Amino acid sequence: MKGLNSLFLAAMMLAVPFLAQAEQMPEFHIIIKNHKFQPAEVVVPANTKVKLIVENQDATPEEFESHEMHREKIIAGNKTAKILIGPLKPGKYPFFGEFNQDTAQGMVIAE
Amino acid sequence: MTGRFCISGHNPRKHSRLITGLVGGLFISLPGAVPLYADGSIIDKVYHPYVQLLEKEIEYRLRYQDDDDPELDDQQRHKLGLGQSLSDRVFAEIYLIGKNTPDSDFELSAVEAELKLQLTEQGEYNNDWGMLFELEREKDENIWEASTALIALHEWSRWIGTANLSLAYEWGNDIDNELETGLATQLRYRYSQAVEPALEVYFSEDTQGLGPVLTGVQRLGGRRKLLWEFGVILGLDNSTADASWKFNIEYEY
Repeated sequence: MKGLNSLFLAAMMLAVPFLAQAEQMPEFHIIIKNHKFQPAEVVVPANTKVKLIVENQDATPEEFESHEMHREKIIAGNKTAKILIGPLKPGKYPFFGEFNQDTAQGMVIAE
Repeated sequence: MTGRFCISGHNPRKHSRLITGLVGGLFISLPGAVPLYADGSIIDKVYHPYVQLLEKEIEYRLRYQDDDDPELDDQQRHKLGLGQSLSDRVFAEIYLIGKNTPDSDFELSAVEAELKLQLTEQGEYNNDWGMLFELEREKDENIWEASTALIALHEWSRWIGTANLSLAYEWGNDIDNELETGLATQLRYRYSQAVEPALEVYFSEDTQGLGPVLTGVQRLGGRRKLLWEFGVILGLDNSTADASWKFNIEYEY
């Protein structure tokens, strides 16, 4: 059991430095209105962690989801949420509103 | 049309101190000798640290053991859960746990309450962090088990590594009070949303196993979706079943 306990302690010691984070990151604002993302395309710097500020102006909740960016976040009606993404390699990363997929479609473009 | 760009200040030190304190408090007094969990195996599910607002779910888990040793062979463990998020950071779930063995038919054996906390915003730090708290009560015996686990998740592009470090305490009139630690990890490749292959490893005093797992999500429209997991964990020592088949299914709505 000593081995397992040592493993825990080593893992915890290793984990602490990983809590560090850059103090500033670029922010981008997206509005959800009438079950659509506005803007539908967001251009972000590649290889940089960025923050999406998503404001849901609809009365109903929406889920921001992107398998490509590994993000999933429900935003209540008339509420705002922050979604941190990246660093992304240059390319296009689609996202959608899970509760209104017919209309709520968008794209993050990293360049 | 493109999004508005600005730079914001952010001070994560307060959160870092909080998480470091929780981590230290949880693992500072790990004991030297720790026996097994109530059913002898920690093979179950590797938890991710995320909580979704307004989420409700019904969950069923099955574990079936296959082994040459009659004491480990043909053991089934069933777990039926009903859960709901209480906020965007707290999720609560209640389980009914049943089992059947070659010597006994299916019976309800325990009930469990679980609380999951999402400690950090996804992507805020290099790792995403969560905590899990569980309280289990055996139905026909005076045995209680309280456990807590630290959940850590790290992304390497399309690879996701998740670790659950747990500490459990059992007590009651029908058991010697005892403490156990456990480690459950998963390395998953985000191949597609429908199917994601993974490798899981479980490690405690009485469980050593690893094996392949497939996971996936099936969308059912609106906020309804089905999440599934299927895999087999192969025992690496004599106290772990040669094969523990696992099947989990969650209906989120």
